[in-house]
Amino acid sequence: MTRSDRQGPGAWIKLLSLLAALAVVAAACGSSASSDDGASGDSSDDSAQDDGSGDDGSGDDGSGDDDGSGDDDGSGDDGSGEARSINVAIVGNPQMEDIAALTPELFTADTGIEVNYTFLEEQTLREIVTRDVAAGGDQFDVVMIGMFEAPQFGAEGLLVDLNTYAAGDADYNVDDIFPAVRGGLSYEGGLYAAPFYAESSFVMYREDLLEAAGQTMPDAPTWDEVAAIARAIDSDETAGICLRGKPGWGDLGAAFTTVLNTFGGTWWEANPDGSIGEAQVDQPEFREALEFYVNLVNDAGEDDAANSSFVECLNLYQEGKVAMWYDATVAAGLLEANDSAVKGLNNFALAPTKETDASGWLWAWSLAIPQNSPDPDTAWEYLSWATSAEYIAAAGEALDGGWAAVPPGTRASTYDNPNYQAAAEAFAQKTLDAMNAAPIDNPGTTPRPGLPGVQYVGVPEFQDVGTRCTELFSSVIAGNMSIDDALSDCQDIASQASS
Amino acid sequence: MATTTPTDVIDRSEEIRRIQRKEKWRRRIPLLPALLFTIVVTQIPFLFSLYYSVTEWTIRPARPRTFNGLSNYAELVTNKFFRDALLTSVLMTVSSVLLSLLVGTGLALLLDRKVFGQGFLRTLLITPFLIMPVVASQVWSSQMLSRTFGVVNWLLETVGVDRIEFVSRYPLWSIVLVLVWQWSPFMMLIVLAGLQGQDASVLEAARVDGATSRGIFFQITLPQLRPYLELGLLLGSIYLIQVFDHVEVMTGGRGAANVPYFVYQRSIGGGWSFGQASAFSIVVVVFSIIIATFGLRVLSGLLEGEEAA
Amino acid sequence: MSGGNTGPVVGARGLGSFLLGIATWIITLLFFFPVFWMVLNGFKEEVDANTDPKLFFDPTLDRFSEVTEDTTGLLSFSEAFANSFWSVLISTIVVMAMAIPAAYALSIRPVEKWRDVLFFFISTKFLPIVAAILPLWIIARDAGLLNTRLVLIILYTAMNLPLAVWMLRSFFNEVPKELIEAASIDGAKISSQIRSVILPIVAPGLAATALLCVIFAWNEFFLAVQLNPVDGTTVPVWVQSNVSSRGNFLAKLSAASTLATLPVVLAGWVAQKRMIRGLAMGAIK
Repeated sequence: MTRSDRQGPGAWIKLLSLLAALAVVAAACGSSASSDDGASGDSSDDSAQDDGSGDDGSGDDGSGDDDGSGDDDGSGDDGSGEARSINVAIVGNPQMEDIAALTPELFTADTGIEVNYTFLEEQTLREIVTRDVAAGGDQFDVVMIGMFEAPQFGAEGLLVDLNTYAAGDADYNVDDIFPAVRGGLSYEGGLYAAPFYAESSFVMYREDLLEAAGQTMPDAPTWDEVAAIARAIDSDETAGICLRGKPGWGDLGAAFTTVLNTFGGTWWEANPDGSIGEAQVDQPEFREALEFYVNLVNDAGEDDAANSSFVECLNLYQEGKVAMWYDATVAAGLLEANDSAVKGLNNFALAPTKETDASGWLWAWSLAIPQNSPDPDTAWEYLSWATSAEYIAAAGEALDGGWAAVPPGTRASTYDNPNYQAAAEAFAQKTLDAMNAAPIDNPGTTPRPGLPGVQYVGVPEFQDVGTRCTELFSSVIAGNMSIDDALSDCQDIASQASS
Repeated sequence: MATTTPTDVIDRSEEIRRIQRKEKWRRRIPLLPALLFTIVVTQIPFLFSLYYSVTEWTIRPARPRTFNGLSNYAELVTNKFFRDALLTSVLMTVSSVLLSLLVGTGLALLLDRKVFGQGFLRTLLITPFLIMPVVASQVWSSQMLSRTFGVVNWLLETVGVDRIEFVSRYPLWSIVLVLVWQWSPFMMLIVLAGLQGQDASVLEAARVDGATSRGIFFQITLPQLRPYLELGLLLGSIYLIQVFDHVEVMTGGRGAANVPYFVYQRSIGGGWSFGQASAFSIVVVVFSIIIATFGLRVLSGLLEGEEAA
Repeated sequence: MSGGNTGPVVGARGLGSFLLGIATWIITLLFFFPVFWMVLNGFKEEVDANTDPKLFFDPTLDRFSEVTEDTTGLLSFSEAFANSFWSVLISTIVVMAMAIPAAYALSIRPVEKWRDVLFFFISTKFLPIVAAILPLWIIARDAGLLNTRLVLIILYTAMNLPLAVWMLRSFFNEVPKELIEAASIDGAKISSQIRSVILPIVAPGLAATALLCVIFAWNEFFLAVQLNPVDGTTVPVWVQSNVSSRGNFLAKLSAASTLATLPVVLAGWVAQKRMIRGLAMGAIK
C-alpha cells in the first residue's frame, strides 16, 4: 500500500564509484604506510599486518584502504612531536574532574608537560589499569589505583617505589601525608602510590529529624544503637538509614565488610604464612552480620536498596528521603556544599561498632607509576604536583566550589589550613577523627590473610569473591534469595580461593 | 576409471579437470578477501583462546602460565555457577528474541495500515534500536523502572498501585524488557519489509472470495512472512545471545548473570583467570555451533538457494 | 498489540480503523517515551533530574555545554566524534567492498560448499567478545596498534562482515538469473557484471546493510574502551566518561547520550524507507 518505488540506483552508482575512487586513493597512500608497518612490526605481530598484506594481494577492490586509513590516523595521532607529554589514567569523580580542568593552567604552563587524561568510570578503569600494569601494556605513565591495589602491585614489583623520588624532593614533604594512608599504600617500606584523595566511612545524619523523633546519636555509636534509631525514625516518607545494597566488592562489599569485621566475622582465616586459609562464610559471625545488615536495610532502609550505592544514597539523602546514611566521609562535603538542599542540617558520627573499637574503612584513590612507564621522571614531576599540598592550596583558590571542594583526607596540612577549616567547618574534624580511627592494621577480631585492609581483604582474589558474593547478598536484600542459599553459595565461591 | 581408458580420453579428462579447477578458482577469488580477512582477524584470537583454555593462567594474583590439560573443561561440568549462567542465557535469549518478534510483528501490522502520520510514527518507533545499549540500560533502570524516581513507578502510584522494585525483584525480566524495547523496532522493520512484499492482488482476490481478515492473516500473510520472521529470528539470536552491557549496567550481575557476563567476570571483570574463562567461552562457541546447525536446518529457507555447483 | 486481530472488519471499517489508528499513536508514543525522557533530562539541572519525575522545569543548555566543553588533555566530544566517524565510515566501506564480491561468490556463481562458508562467517559471531579481548589486546599491543583508529577499523570490519555477507547474499539471490546470464554471455568480467547489472538492482539492500553496519559500529563500546583508552577512542567511551561514582551525573549523561545518539538516529530516520525496501529484497524464498 505504501510502496513508493522512487528510482534510486543512479545515485547509488555515483556513491559507489566515489567510494571506489576513495579506496584507490587510500590504497595509493597506503602502499608507503604498509612498507613502513612491515619494517616496524616484529615477527610476532601476525594478525593485523598479515591480513593487511593478504588483502592487498588477493583482493582487488579497495581492501587496501585498511592501510590507507592507518596512515592517516598514525600521522594524526603521533604528530604532536617532541614536547613532553604523559598519559594518565584516572577515575571519573568530581575531584578528578577538577584537577583535569586545572592541569593546563597550573601544571602544563609551568613545566611544559602536557597531560593526556584517560577518564573512566571506576570498574572500567580498574579493568584497563590492572591489565596494563600486570600484563605489560606500557600505555600509561601514571595510573590511579586504590588502596587495595597499591601494596599488592608494589609487592609484585609492578610499580615504582615513590620513596626513592620523594626522598630527594624536599618540597614534596611526604611526612605530611597521613600515616595511616601512607601505610596503606606501602609494602615493606616502599611507598607505591601517593594519595590523591582519601576517605574513611562514618554515619551522616539529619540532626533535625533525629531531634524531632526524640533520638540522640552518640559520637561513637554501636550498630545496635544505630539500628534502634533507624527503626525508630523510619517512616513512609523518610527511611531510617541508607545502606549500600548494590553488588560489587567496592559497593555493598565495602559497607558490609566493615560490619562483618566489627561483628567478629571474616571472609577467610589466615594461614600462618599469611596466605588464604579456610573460608569463614559458613561461620555464625558471618551469618549474624549478614542477617543484621539485611534486616536493617529491609526494616528501616531505603527503597530499592539492592540497586543503591553511593550516588543513589546521596540523592535520597539530599531529597530528604533518608534520615541517616552510612558511607564514605567524602559525602559530607557534598551534603554541605552550597547547592545542597540539606546544608547545615547534618551531623556526623564515627562508624558504628560491635565487637571492635573502630570499624570505619580506609580508602585512597592514589597515583602510581607503573614499572613499565616509558618516562618515570616526567611521571614523578606530574605525580608530585598532583598529590602535593601546593596543588591543594592552588585548587582551593581556583575552584568554583572553593576550599570545601579540594581533595580531602590526604595531608595534615590541609586540615591545619584556616581556609579549609572555615570552609569545611561542619565536617573537617569529624572526617579527621574517622580517618585516624580507621583500624587498617587490625580491622577485626582475628588475623586476616594478605595485606592490610579494612573493607576488603588484601588479596587479589577478594575482588572476584567479594563481587560474586555481594551479587548473592544483593539478591537476598531484593528478596529473591534466602540467606541460607546465599551463604552456602558464597562459601563455595570463597573456598575456591583457599589454599 | 581413468586407468583403463585410451590416452586421448585421459588427455581430454585432464583438460576438463584443469578447466574445472580453473573455474573453481575463478569462483573462489571474489570470496577470498572476505574469507581470509575473517579467518585472520577472528581465528587467530580464537586459537589463542584455545591454547589458553588448556592452561592455568591468572594474572591477579600473578602466576606463571602452566599447562593443565583439560582440567579447565572438567571444572565446567561441576561449576554450578556456569550452569546457572547457561540457563540464564537461554532464558534471556529465547524470551527476548521471541517477544521482540511478536511485538515487532504487532507494530508492523499496525503500521502497515493507513494511519495518519505513518512515516512519523515509524520514525519514532525505530529510535530505540538506534540507541547505545549502555545508555538504554541506564535510562530504563534509573529513569523508568527505578522505584524512587522512575516514571513507571510514579505512574503506578498515581493510579493507586504500590511501587515495585522492578530491577531488584525481577532482574532477568527487566533486562528482557529493555532488550525487547530495543529489538522490536528491528523486527518491525523486517516484518514491514515482508508485508510490503505481499502481492496485493492475492489479498484482493481472497477478500473478494469472502475470506475473513483473520483467515487472510493466518492463511496468506503469515506464510508469506515466514522467511522474514526466520531472518529476524536468526539475526536476533546472534546478537541477543551476546548481551553484556544491559546485564552489567542494570543489575551488576545480580540474579541475571548470563554466559558473556560470567566469562567477563572470570576474566577482566575481577577473576583474572584467563585459562578458565577461555575454556568457558570455547564451550560456548561449540554449543552455539551445534545449536545453530540444528536451528538453521529447522529454519528451512535460510540456507536454501540455487544449487549451482 | 496482540498481533492477530488487526485486519479491519469490512462492515465496521470506519470506526475500527479510526480506533486502531488511535491505538497505533498511543502505542508509538509509549514506545518512544523513554527516549523523549532522556532528551528532556539533558535539559535539566542535576537536582531536577535526580528527583521525582518532573515534566516542567527551567530548561537549560548548561549540561550540553558542560559535556562539549573542550578541556586540554581530556577526551573531547569533537575528538571522539572524529574517531567514531572515521572508524565507522572506513570500516563500513571496507565491509561492503569485501562483502559484495563474497556474496557474489556465495549466491550467483557459488563456490562449492558455499553453505559451509556462509556458516563459518556466522559462526565467528559466537565467540563472546569478552573472551577474545585478551588475545586481541596482546596482538594489538605487539603490533603497535593499541590506541589507533586502525585497530577499531579492523575489528569493526570483522565484526560486521558476517552480517553483511549474509544479508547481501540473500539480496543477490533476488537478481533475475536471465540478466546475469546475458551479462556473462557478453563476456563481461565479474567486477563489471557486479557493477552494471547486480548493484543497481540490490542498491536498497546495500543501503540497508551498510546502515546496520554503521549502527552496530557506532554503538560499539567494549572494544573501543579496552583497546583505545588513551587515543583514538570513540563516542560511546566519551558518553561513559560522564559517569561518576561520587556525584550526580544523570542530566549530564542524558545530554551526552542525546548528542551521541543523534548521528545514527538521523541516519536511521533518513534511511528507514530505503532500509525497509532493502530488507524486503532479502525475501529468502
